[in-house]
Amino acid sequence: MSGGTDHENAGSADVLTEADAKSLLSEAGVPVPDFELVSSPEEAVDVADSIGYPVVVKVSSPAVQHKSEWGDGVGVHLGLSNAEAVRDAAEAIQEAADDRELEVDILVEAAVDTDEGVETIVGGTQTQAFGPTVVFGLGGTFTEVLEDVTHRLAPIGTDEAGQMTEEIQGAELLEGFRGSPQTDREAIASTIATVSDLVADEEWIAEIEINPLLATETGVVALDALVVRADDD
Amino acid sequence: MSLSRLFEPESIAVIGASADEGKIGYAAMDNIRSFDGRVYPVNPSTGELFGHRCYDAIDEVDDRVDLALSCVPRQVTPAVVEECGEADVGGVVVYAAGFSEHTEEGSELEAEIVATAREHDLAVLGPNTSGFINANDGVIASFVSDTDAVPAGNVAVVAQSGGINHVLMFMAENNRVGISKAIGLGNAADTDFAEVITYLDADDDTESILLHVEGTDDARALLETCRGVETPVSIYKVGREDVTDFAASHTGSMVGDYQLYEAGCAQYGVPMVDSCQELLDVGNAFASLPEPDGSNVALVTGQAGPGIAITDRLKRAGTTLPSLSERTCETIDDILPGLTYTSNPVDTGQPPDPAAYETLLGAIAEDEAVDILLVYQLYEERVEYPVDILEGLVEDTGVPAVFATTGPSDAVDDAVERFHSAGIPAFQSPERGAEAVNALATYAEMKTDSPTVTTAGSER
Repeated sequence: MSGGTDHENAGSADVLTEADAKSLLSEAGVPVPDFELVSSPEEAVDVADSIGYPVVVKVSSPAVQHKSEWGDGVGVHLGLSNAEAVRDAAEAIQEAADDRELEVDILVEAAVDTDEGVETIVGGTQTQAFGPTVVFGLGGTFTEVLEDVTHRLAPIGTDEAGQMTEEIQGAELLEGFRGSPQTDREAIASTIATVSDLVADEEWIAEIEINPLLATETGVVALDALVVRADDD
Repeated sequence: MSLSRLFEPESIAVIGASADEGKIGYAAMDNIRSFDGRVYPVNPSTGELFGHRCYDAIDEVDDRVDLALSCVPRQVTPAVVEECGEADVGGVVVYAAGFSEHTEEGSELEAEIVATAREHDLAVLGPNTSGFINANDGVIASFVSDTDAVPAGNVAVVAQSGGINHVLMFMAENNRVGISKAIGLGNAADTDFAEVITYLDADDDTESILLHVEGTDDARALLETCRGVETPVSIYKVGREDVTDFAASHTGSMVGDYQLYEAGCAQYGVPMVDSCQELLDVGNAFASLPEPDGSNVALVTGQAGPGIAITDRLKRAGTTLPSLSERTCETIDDILPGLTYTSNPVDTGQPPDPAAYETLLGAIAEDEAVDILLVYQLYEERVEYPVDILEGLVEDTGVPAVFATTGPSDAVDDAVERFHSAGIPAFQSPERGAEAVNALATYAEMKTDSPTVTTAGSER
């Protein structure tokens, strides 16, 4: 996949931080995990205490696109179950930032058990020829290897978005196939429609991607999000 | 801008007309021999050509020239277009290549041509095209030979590539499908898909429009045009290149032009096909038949195997085969022996005698649940093809009927000819019949449903 290289090539100023991207989605009605941005290990612990454990701690900066690869792998810490672990993680992020002379924030977020759902992907892209478009597929290897995705010109309503969830090759995996969780398709469709509206209505958005959007029995939650600004011309 | 003078000229000038057989200027002169309007070769260094006086320049022609065929090299093309504009020519076909498809310099020349065309309200076709034909009026404004054998009719072809334009023309001749206009857009610098579609929609000779598309800057506007016109438009999209120059997201890098055409055609209800053959078949079906009221298909087949192959194709495309009414089923039961399959599809076994066959097909076509009828029948020497039956049935019920068959060339070619004369599209394979019917069904759905995408909020 060329995705990794593409990320690195993206001018950092054109890409929103994960926190900003999630705030945008949350305001548009897409559920995101509880999160807060902090600037010190102490604050990180306070926030983790109030959100409740386990939590995820991540580096947050417009200059960092590949969070998990940044700082020799200290950019993302999953499943932290106590205050000490949160403090260690936040300190590691700060040290790596100091080494690189970077001003960064620390994102503290409620951890979500991905085993409880199916990872999907929802994206919106502005194209030259077709204007706004929207795509849906299963996450992980299904997207990367099989490219099992389906496209529409945006904007679309929830009925058409629901069709998309039925026509991917792996559609059965959303139906509780062999013990995988049954998913809330209406919530998926509603998220697809929301992303399609965002990319169609907000001219400053060039690309938007929720990857993964975890679909569970009771709803969806955007675990990671990327929003790219359009060139100003 | 009106395209009538370009595509329906009463007078034609050939600029760069030549007596040299190797030159485009010769081919162009040779090809318009079938045109019975006024012809003006223009070339300062040539005397008489093909029995016509040759002029030194277009402004010396003392007549209103509707169409000019520019057979000159690219460097002098802007000057020729300018002269045509000043001489109040209606349209110019630019055959020369080496413009925006080639180099930066070519792009500049092309921009010059477009500016001149707009200034003089002159329609330019091309550059980088092999031209067009208007078969009904005998206008062969193409440098390719032997297109005069293409039968005149009511199917219009608009191809982005001049080469594919001729592929479709010759296939039309091979398949006995009549063509109204076959137009190669080439670089489409001035005259583009949307303009040509709008023109053809208003053209009395055209009942069906076929597009060959490689890629366009404004594909959404093209789909909106296809949906907006009265005449059915079908698309053959070639090429699967990416549309986003650069994408930061995984999904962004996956957005392919072809997938978006597929999605967009489905959303706007524009039939999309996958080969030149299919495109022509679909064009034939739309041009010959009344538009269906809905998308429900009844299939009547003489043999189970081909019937299953057809059903498979129909279902794959999402086309519905509804249950027939009790009354229809009773009629079928009365006519057919108990061994056959009397639901939809209806397997007749060897078709019954003509009178019974007519009753059977009539009952199915008249069934409330049925909007489109597809009949397949393997060739059998002793069994007559239902040419008259289907012709009468379409006339009486307004239900479009498509026929497909397979058999020895001698017999079947002749049968296809008879079906076509009777206004019934006939195809020599089960799948071709199925795909033509799928397009009719898609189009009918488009007519009854609203599009699943709202108007583009995409102007950037």
